[in-house]
Amino acid sequence: MDDSRAELEQGDALVQACARGDRRAFHQLYVNEAPRMLALARRFTGDASLAEDALQDTFVQVWKNAGRFRSQRGSARTWLFGLLRYRLINQHHRSRREAFEPLPGDQWPDPGPSPEQCSLENDQRRAIIDCLQTLQMDRRRPILMAFYQGFTYEQIADTLAVPLGTIKSRVRSGLKGLQECLRL
Amino acid sequence: MIPRDSQERQLLIAEHVLGLLSPKQAAEVERWLEQDDDAAQLASHWQAHWLGAAELLEPEPLPPGLWQRIERQTAEGGTRRRPFWQALWQSPSLWRTVSAGLLVAVVLLLGPLRVPAPVYTVVLQAPGEAASPGWRITVSDRGDLQLTPLADSEYPVDRSVQFWTLADPAQGPRSLGLINPGQPLILPASRVGDVESGQLFELTLEPPGGSPADRPTGPVLFIGRAVAL
Repeated sequence: MDDSRAELEQGDALVQACARGDRRAFHQLYVNEAPRMLALARRFTGDASLAEDALQDTFVQVWKNAGRFRSQRGSARTWLFGLLRYRLINQHHRSRREAFEPLPGDQWPDPGPSPEQCSLENDQRRAIIDCLQTLQMDRRRPILMAFYQGFTYEQIADTLAVPLGTIKSRVRSGLKGLQECLRL
Repeated sequence: MIPRDSQERQLLIAEHVLGLLSPKQAAEVERWLEQDDDAAQLASHWQAHWLGAAELLEPEPLPPGLWQRIERQTAEGGTRRRPFWQALWQSPSLWRTVSAGLLVAVVLLLGPLRVPAPVYTVVLQAPGEAASPGWRITVSDRGDLQLTPLADSEYPVDRSVQFWTLADPAQGPRSLGLINPGQPLILPASRVGDVESGQLFELTLEPPGGSPADRPTGPVLFIGRAVAL
């Protein structure tokens, strides 16, 4: 079993322990997952305080709803990031951001071992990187702006100074390309 | 409206997972996902795929105190969110406002008052009112602190005004005692402690005799940050 898969399985076990009221497991889950979740939240909100609030609310939700986690539907990490993004989108999505940080999409890391060596979810996590690489920059960039920075169509259009209709068309074209590449 | 065309439906889910839909559209899609297992499964696959993009981010160090707040909030009867004073101390928008007026205020105020050999100064302003300095603090090279009123302000007679400083957010604010509104105050270095650039000072309105806790409990009247001279 590779490290990545072991990490995911440990996350699943920790959330299940949280559902049984295990506070130590809850803290371990926080230690393991919160640093990268904070990175996403900070990039999404552009504000350290708002990012911390989102992370705090997300972990409170994790503790309250750990019993609703179902590992058959995806890893605990996917569940955690889903909760975080849901919180971010609902609370901060519509506020205009001034800062524009570079996106972590121009220099992709080595995808690592072949998918055949890994679990289904590991395959999925690596596949998105590979598939994003196949997109033209003008498709990829607005999609990454939505994912990492929570920009709406309008905000992407404003930031890139491209007409709204063009941005929508490019994003949807990019998503179609991803969908085909990911065989969804 | 949820489209009938399967390709359009799939795209709608992809847009939803990315957070591109309006709140109204998103709510509609959420209701759809609750009722349609296939659609929910597709959304779940998209989320699992996108986790790979999230994992490209470098993990960030966790701020001190965040876990304690989560612990408190998840404990039985725990309090919700950051305490008001902490949210205020840590609010970037507040500090952007304060900082914007600070340099101008320092230049305007230091000249006529001429405090001997200060090494730090702070202009305390009402929150959100960068053009309204209320008090000035100077810290001498010996570490003594002088708090001087700059404007006449009205304070409720049945309340106390308390002076606080915050050097390390993880430690929380430290009381420097009650003040007499409108009256200058001098504190010795032994009472003030070390002062560093960026250190925060504030005056809050508290119950008679001061805050019942070891932190501010009332509204912030004036707030500012130390600037090295």
